[in-house]
Amino acid sequence: MANMVNLKIDGKDVKVQEGTNLIDAAETAGVHIPNLCYMKGMKGIGACRLCLVEVEGSKAPLIACNTKVKEGMNVTTSTDRVVEIRKFVTDLIVSMHPLDCMTCTKAGTCNLQKYAYDFEIKESSFSRKKFGYSPDESNPFIKRDPEYCVLCSRCVRICKAQDTNVLEFSGRGVGAKVETGNQKPLQESGCTFCGSCIDVCPVNALLESDRWRKGREWEYEKTDTVCLSCGSGCSISVSTKDGSVVKINSGAPDGSIERTICAVGRFGFDSLIGDLRITSPMKRVGTELQETTWEDAVGIVAEKLKAAGTDAAIVSNGAILNEDAALLAKMAEALNTKNVSSTVSLYSGADAMKSGGADLEAADFIVLVGIEPSQWKRVLPALDASVRKRLNNGAKLIVINSGDLQISSKAAAALKGDEAKMLMELAQAVISKGTKAPKEMIEALAHLNPSDDAVAAAEVFMAASAPVILAAPSLYKAAANLSLIKGEAVAVPLEANARGVVAMGLGSKGFSETVSARSKVLYAVGELPVSSRPDTGFLIVQASHMTDLAAQADIVLPSAAALESEGTIIDWLGRIKKVNRVCVPAGDAKQNGDIFMAVAGAMGASLKPAKEADIKKAVKTKSKTSFASFTKEEGLDADPAAFMQEINKATVNGSRLLWLKELESCQVTA
Amino acid sequence: MSGTLQKDEAPKKDMKDVLASVENIKCPVQRSQKFVEEFLSEPMCGKCHPCALGSYEALVRIKRISSGTGTADDIAAIQRIADDMLESSRCIKGKDTAKFLLNELKKDAFRGHLDGHCEDMECSSLIIYRIIAAKCTLCGLCKDACRYNAILGEKKVSYRSGYLSFEIRQKRCVKCGDCLPACPYGAIEVIEQKTAVLA
Repeated sequence: MANMVNLKIDGKDVKVQEGTNLIDAAETAGVHIPNLCYMKGMKGIGACRLCLVEVEGSKAPLIACNTKVKEGMNVTTSTDRVVEIRKFVTDLIVSMHPLDCMTCTKAGTCNLQKYAYDFEIKESSFSRKKFGYSPDESNPFIKRDPEYCVLCSRCVRICKAQDTNVLEFSGRGVGAKVETGNQKPLQESGCTFCGSCIDVCPVNALLESDRWRKGREWEYEKTDTVCLSCGSGCSISVSTKDGSVVKINSGAPDGSIERTICAVGRFGFDSLIGDLRITSPMKRVGTELQETTWEDAVGIVAEKLKAAGTDAAIVSNGAILNEDAALLAKMAEALNTKNVSSTVSLYSGADAMKSGGADLEAADFIVLVGIEPSQWKRVLPALDASVRKRLNNGAKLIVINSGDLQISSKAAAALKGDEAKMLMELAQAVISKGTKAPKEMIEALAHLNPSDDAVAAAEVFMAASAPVILAAPSLYKAAANLSLIKGEAVAVPLEANARGVVAMGLGSKGFSETVSARSKVLYAVGELPVSSRPDTGFLIVQASHMTDLAAQADIVLPSAAALESEGTIIDWLGRIKKVNRVCVPAGDAKQNGDIFMAVAGAMGASLKPAKEADIKKAVKTKSKTSFASFTKEEGLDADPAAFMQEINKATVNGSRLLWLKELESCQVTA
Repeated sequence: MSGTLQKDEAPKKDMKDVLASVENIKCPVQRSQKFVEEFLSEPMCGKCHPCALGSYEALVRIKRISSGTGTADDIAAIQRIADDMLESSRCIKGKDTAKFLLNELKKDAFRGHLDGHCEDMECSSLIIYRIIAAKCTLCGLCKDACRYNAILGEKKVSYRSGYLSFEIRQKRCVKCGDCLPACPYGAIEVIEQKTAVLA
């Protein structure tokens, strides 16, 4: 634990961790130090000079964003001198900023507006500057309007911190402008449309493309929830107006490295409404699916399931909530069928989904074993961004993979080859330097002569104080051996609630076998990586969207989408995250768990919802890390990129993300 | 703000060059204008707002004053910009620029300019070039020296009379000053526009 430092800010006693800057320290005392360019969690650059404060003993004012607290410091945040400077800079910026707050979408959240109000700048006392820049509105995601830019460089820096490097400055001073590196529209500049720049822009220079006349910040209701689109399970903050979603922002705490989301999480909400959405139960009449009532549909499902009994098969994806998963497991129990499985079994064993947690924020060393998070390939994009943020903050990286990864160029060492073998070499290299390790491991590796690369990697590993090992679930056991020497190992699943679904008892059996087991009845829950109808007597699909599988079903039950559901997940780091209902389910759709209860009820079994305590207990059961052989688990080699595409197909095809998908496919062929 | 220069392209001009560029200028307003222009052209790095935006605004105001359209507000604005730049600029370059301006502002010349007086006869908008008819010998050297074809007149030929003195067409004159050394008789004078109108 870092040392605590005592200081005084505006007469208030403040006690904060050593190394904290004055802006963050003042915040803990409820004092806001004005700033435009500071971003919590990133180094202060002192460009806007609004954060200048006076410190006793220092002749000149100091920038609070990049001044660290010192024991006994006495800080005054608003003397006449620094307030004049703040007024001066705000005045200058207002002189080059459009004065159209009355129609501006960002009114109410705009920092410039706030400071102009605070400093009583009705209009600038300086000469008005107009630039005549045209906005970039050529994509359906992000609108860039340089006319509003206050040159704080937040967007440029966040883009660089994530290594997407799309935005850059051109020119200096008044004529400076944020541009893409090649001065082309975003979609031609390698932009992933993660929208992090929108989150950080203090003014109206960057915002969602479709925000015009969709209401302003104070009209929105904000709900914190979780994005269930991939294994990252990012916290999101959803703004709704009149019951429909207007925009989604990153919801992780300010300054956290997890404060990144991707295009799917931010812009996929269009798919909540639209043609692909299933709004009422349907049953097959002849060759067509026809709408029917819940009563009818549930009756048929219950009858078919009951008749099939132990021959019924149930499959689910790994994104359904804990509560729903628990009810599904109970329903299977009531049916007495053992053919229950989830998509988690395509990429992970059960033990890997009980790995311990890790503190990514503090990691000074990261090992990627057999996984390739990538913002560009849209595989766990937020994790990729977080890792890159850490690296750009000084953390070291070792990549252990059989392929060449994009991120390898940033790695201190890249061990290319069979991952299990590379892990052995790394472990042996570490052990041969005299590091303590379990006896079995030393014995098992004694015969090995590590390569030079492994020795070099071992040196970095030994120098680290808080290593975090992120492994593909199939390699988790092998990778966890390293954590017996130092650090934490975590298996990284591909779906948001993979750990929860396994903990609730849905992960044990192979998914592919269950699907192709020629069952009498197959009950498929959620969007699954299955596109053609499996060989089954009767196919029940419970989904929010008309997927390929749903179109071939005998009964379709409309389920609530992630944003319409309520419950919890256990994220990949083993934390319970609350999923809150943002809007009511479309049409007649119901949450998964409610449907399970209705079906079980019709079968004559009554299911009780899972208790909070059960879920808390499930989180606590973590597998003990003990030495395991350095081998890769077989049969868990689902291709992450293809899998991600499959499970997010409806979200992408039902939203503006389709534009991006089509654009990307054009670029590949062109 | 970081519309900054790349590390590998070191600035060609530094603050010394900026200072050297104003060495031969006497008028405080002209000195200030040239200084800030030169500063903005290269050494200004753009890393902080007070200096990057402030010096640009200062230039706008100085130009107003040197062109004779300035008001007391402009002087006050320059004073404020310089004061605040001195306090809040990130580096020495902004502070030096502020100090330079503050020093020039101490001189009465700024105020004088508001009334159309440029004592050093360097602010081209406030002065005119004029040929003193009594001294003009009609030699035509000034006409040859003028690159802008701003001087009217006919060279004197022996035994002919009825000549008028050479004359500077004010609309064409850019006040470059090339004609001054060209006249061997000191027949060209520089006077404040204001007095010329009165005369």
